[in-house]
Amino acid sequence: MTSLVLALKQEPDQRLDLSPLVPHLLAGKSEAEIAAIELQTTKHKVTVGDAFTLKPGDASSIRFEGGSARLDNIGLDLKSGEIVVEGACGLYVGRAMSAGTILVTGDCGPFAGSAMSGGKLEIKGDAGDLLAAPQDGEMEGMTGGLLVVRGSAGARAGDRLRRGTIVIEGAAGDHAGSRMIAGTLIVLGTAGALPGTLMRRGTILLGSHTPLAPTFVTCGRNGFGSFSALFARLLRPTSEAAAAAFSRPLERFAGDMAALGKGEILLPA
Amino acid sequence: MSEAEVDGKPASIEEATECAAAILSRARLPVIAGLGTDIAGIRGSIALAERLHGAYDHMHSARIFSDLDVLRQFGLMFTTPNEARLRADVLLCVGPDLTRVWPQLFERLAPGELPVFDLAQQKRKIVWIAPEPGLGEIAGVPVVPIEAPDLVTTLGGLRARVAERPVALDDAITQKLDAAADILRKARFGVAVWGGAALDKLSVEMLQGLVLDLNKTTRFTGLALGAESNAAGAVQASGWMTGFPMRTSFGRGYPDHDTWRFDATRLVESGEADAALWVSAYEAETPSWTRHVPLVALVPAEAHFAQPPAVRIDIGRPAVDHDGVDYSREAAAIVARKASHPSNKASVAAVLLRIAQQIGGAL
Repeated sequence: MTSLVLALKQEPDQRLDLSPLVPHLLAGKSEAEIAAIELQTTKHKVTVGDAFTLKPGDASSIRFEGGSARLDNIGLDLKSGEIVVEGACGLYVGRAMSAGTILVTGDCGPFAGSAMSGGKLEIKGDAGDLLAAPQDGEMEGMTGGLLVVRGSAGARAGDRLRRGTIVIEGAAGDHAGSRMIAGTLIVLGTAGALPGTLMRRGTILLGSHTPLAPTFVTCGRNGFGSFSALFARLLRPTSEAAAAAFSRPLERFAGDMAALGKGEILLPA
Repeated sequence: MSEAEVDGKPASIEEATECAAAILSRARLPVIAGLGTDIAGIRGSIALAERLHGAYDHMHSARIFSDLDVLRQFGLMFTTPNEARLRADVLLCVGPDLTRVWPQLFERLAPGELPVFDLAQQKRKIVWIAPEPGLGEIAGVPVVPIEAPDLVTTLGGLRARVAERPVALDDAITQKLDAAADILRKARFGVAVWGGAALDKLSVEMLQGLVLDLNKTTRFTGLALGAESNAAGAVQASGWMTGFPMRTSFGRGYPDHDTWRFDATRLVESGEADAALWVSAYEAETPSWTRHVPLVALVPAEAHFAQPPAVRIDIGRPAVDHDGVDYSREAAAIVARKASHPSNKASVAAVLLRIAQQIGGAL
């Protein structure tokens, strides 16, 4: 199977909305039909053919060659298939995706994996602020699936996380896991100020010692025993380091006592 | 000084508006920023943005959205200053700059008077988190101060103690929080007053969570002081015109709202906006961006720019030079105001109309 390849001709002079370029919307379209799809976000019209060189292929597998921080909404509402971005991308990559896989080899902008509900999103570079978070006016962030950032993430990663697993192998910014409702957030590098602000339930695992807000109270060193081992086994194919972090002795802090207090932050014991 | 300038040289209003129309209409994505004007000026700005396929933003958006994002993602309980004056038996003040944001705050809330609609008719109590220095009492009411090196952490500690959940704090600090929590729980109608630059979105959500928790056993609500330059009026006018608050773009012909993408400063700094119209009628504010962009400025005569804008048109102040309609903190509503010192200085709406007439007729 050959992928449909879209090679960026040059850095666009406006942000482009790439939400029409997902497998379920391209299925059955001819090369000419795809080239005519409009992507502009200003009054200057830009079509797929204007911005990209097209190499036809099976639209269930799409490859973007040459990224840009102005390419927004890649893989929005992805329902199946795979998307590979060789380079950087802008806002909302993988937003509201429910299945399929997305791989970004470069950095991505804010709101990556925003409100995703399934599938796998992997970012090899750094992610911007509000990873997996709800968009303006939405109540819930990510509700399922797997999100892996090999680099670092910005502020408030995992905001309003509802279900699913996020692994950040690098550092995270301030307020990681803010307002979490449930789900799991793993930060292997350093975490910024006040992780878990306003979290109600859910689990945050931090790979290094971080001062916590006084609304997180220690529950002592815990033998999570079989659960840790099971979860580590689940994580191993995705992230060897995350699996190792879950296999070490951990100290458990319950919080955020300001909110419901049924969440937990796990630190190396 | 002339009432208009083009490239730093005196010009007539006709020349200036013609030049402004040319700059804005040839841009790919013009942004209308500042938006510090009365309702007529805001309506004109948004209508012009639609015609130009441009974006619009307010200079105080960061402070507006720290409240508005909590309203639309969590919920916000709030009341008016007059309701607080008539009913509040407990005031919970938050932030070190409340009276700088609104110097007449305590004249309006009159904490020294007994609340008219409070059946118990007892003296009011005031708890102040991150208090203003030197305010030991207000109108004879002692202030219970809670120092807060970090606002969201202290608010969180207080909220945890109100709900009787444990905190990892020194006994002395915990006792202080418990004493304050006791005052809040015993309130019959409490009002949390907040505002200023110190509160971010998480702090406001923490405070509103505290208000929500208190409402399980008593009545408690909030009073947001908001921001200057008719920011609250801009939110309302934008809402009734487009269905969205500011940071909305008409790039594709229909309103598209995104607080990250349509932040005016970011749009200019990134080069995505290639022309800007700056409107600031209340204060002599100038844009905070540093990148050069073709700029049309509608500002009072006192406004100073490091680089002269491509077009500058001097305008009058609403309710000073001309009659104006804008949001009033006192009334918590949009009110009409007479000009206090009527002059022939142009209003923002009048100048925008002249610009629009060069681009396809009246707005």
